[in-house]
Amino acid sequence: MISRLVRQERTVFLALLATALLAFPLAFRENNYILRIAINIFLYAILCTSLNMINGYSGQFNIGQAGFYCIGAYTAAILSTRHGIGIWISLPVCGLMASVASLLLGIPTARLKGIFLAMSTLGFSEIIRLIVLNGGEFTRGPMGIPGIPPASLFGWELGTNFHMYYLALLLTALTVLICANVLDSRIGRAWIAIREDELAARAMGIPTVRYKIYNLAFSTFWAGVAGCYYAFLSNFVSADSFHLDEGFVILGMVLVGGLGSIAGPLIGAAILVIIPEIFRFLAEYRLILYGVAILITMHLRPQGICGGGVMDTGDAGSVRDQDEPPDSEPEPATGGDGT
Amino acid sequence: MSDTFVYYAQLVVDGLAQGAIYALMAIGFAVIMGSLDLVTFTYGEVVMLGALAGGYYGVAILKLGIWLSLLLGFAAAWLVGMFIDVVCYRRWPGGPPEVWLITTIGISTVLKSGSQVLFSTEQEFVPDVMDGMWEIGDLRVLHIQVLIIGVLFFLSASLWVFLGKTRLGMQLRAVSMDKTAAALLGVRVQRVMTIGNAIGCALGGVAGVLLGAYYNSVFAIMGGVAGIKAFAAAVFGGLTSIPGAALGGLLLGVLENLGVDLFSSGWRDIIGFGVMIIVLLIKPSGLLGRKGAEKI
Repeated sequence: MISRLVRQERTVFLALLATALLAFPLAFRENNYILRIAINIFLYAILCTSLNMINGYSGQFNIGQAGFYCIGAYTAAILSTRHGIGIWISLPVCGLMASVASLLLGIPTARLKGIFLAMSTLGFSEIIRLIVLNGGEFTRGPMGIPGIPPASLFGWELGTNFHMYYLALLLTALTVLICANVLDSRIGRAWIAIREDELAARAMGIPTVRYKIYNLAFSTFWAGVAGCYYAFLSNFVSADSFHLDEGFVILGMVLVGGLGSIAGPLIGAAILVIIPEIFRFLAEYRLILYGVAILITMHLRPQGICGGGVMDTGDAGSVRDQDEPPDSEPEPATGGDGT
Repeated sequence: MSDTFVYYAQLVVDGLAQGAIYALMAIGFAVIMGSLDLVTFTYGEVVMLGALAGGYYGVAILKLGIWLSLLLGFAAAWLVGMFIDVVCYRRWPGGPPEVWLITTIGISTVLKSGSQVLFSTEQEFVPDVMDGMWEIGDLRVLHIQVLIIGVLFFLSASLWVFLGKTRLGMQLRAVSMDKTAAALLGVRVQRVMTIGNAIGCALGGVAGVLLGAYYNSVFAIMGGVAGIKAFAAAVFGGLTSIPGAALGGLLLGVLENLGVDLFSSGWRDIIGFGVMIIVLLIKPSGLLGRKGAEKI
């Protein structure tokens, strides 16, 4: 009974949210500034959702998502400027490129954990950026690739922020919907099992290494899609946009929003895009703000704003149950200061 | 001596000097990560702050000379280490390493962007601390290269004595073996970890000063690459082992220099990262690491 009520409420809420998001740009049709912020939120929402697939659901620790974002953006740039391929074919192709590249990282590092995996993903992200930077004619090195034509749909040019808003909304909805459905499938449940206890998952017959590789490839597909969208949005790509900092920004948003929940990354993206816009005078402190946000989250609410209790700071053996309210107090230390 | 031999010998010598800096960074990193079981992501930023303090303010602005500047870098990085300990580690003494990974990523962003805003986003010039070189046949050995290797040997020896002979060093080793047992025997685990982390950071700070002095430049975003190099060198040698870290650093420096000769200088960092990924792939326990260490 209650669950049906909750479900109804949820449907109503989602319908309202969808209406609001669809109607939103009509009110701000001429206000490019507001539209651009909204577009940024969607762009980061896609990136955060993709990162959350790894860090939040399969429990691996990837901080190099910017590298795959970069691959998507450069693939789109090269395809559109040199081969005249439009955005609709580019989107899946860029995603697949990122996925294929992720195999280069995923297969060697599938057995690594913790900081080893984190450092490898970071190194990989930086390698991609350096390759792009040293790529000679192919990537035009530090000059970047300008002149990416605007997106179009059946000959109808989607050049304005108004149009790009709807495209971003569509892509975000698609990403979230597909990710949510995959999580509810056999594969998604296997990822969650790996997150909870890799050894137990293997004992239950889940080929953990293979599923972790799938997980990385699936997640990076969406990062590649986001990169493609970014290329058509800004009409210019350069290696400068894909520094390691970009990866940390995405990670910060996911952590603040909450690992291991569908809504978390979306909320994290919205908050961390909007706050720097409110405090415009703090523009150069933007990254400091992200770092501080990560630290505050870890100190006050380690599971994030609406996290699924993935990030519990107590002892590792505790049962993680999504229905229970997460512990607000971390477990007292064992073996600490001789107390 | 044939010309090719001299050419490659020169590459190796330069690589060793560079590798000595990596080795120093890697030793500090191994003290923090391998011995103390603290996961750190912000080590590169500590190196960078050491370079700013010693290399820029010490050598270039205050003109303290190299020895005082090294000391300044050491002290500054020590203080940063204490700060990191308070913000990132102390709250979660028994927590899963992911928490430390995340908090140190947070602080690393803060430190890096903070120094970009407060210091400068440009590369700042650091004047030569010593010029002159010795010529052995056709081989050139710069004085600063000898200085770097000398500092590495001095600090490694000091660390060796500290860990082996002093009370605090023995406590540190006890903590690294078993925190609970150490606590039962009256070791103040928290305090020892704080000091151990500070020592590791301070070694990184000295390496930062040397890095700034050797390349004549200091900049706020040098930490990212420095951190990965330290990690790569430490992994190369086997994360838990301090001699391994030194060996890994030296080897990494030589390999990088030979690789740059093969490709071009833009590929220097790619070689470092590549070596790291290959080592993790082929022999995750590193050259001198303990077998079956549960780090992977």
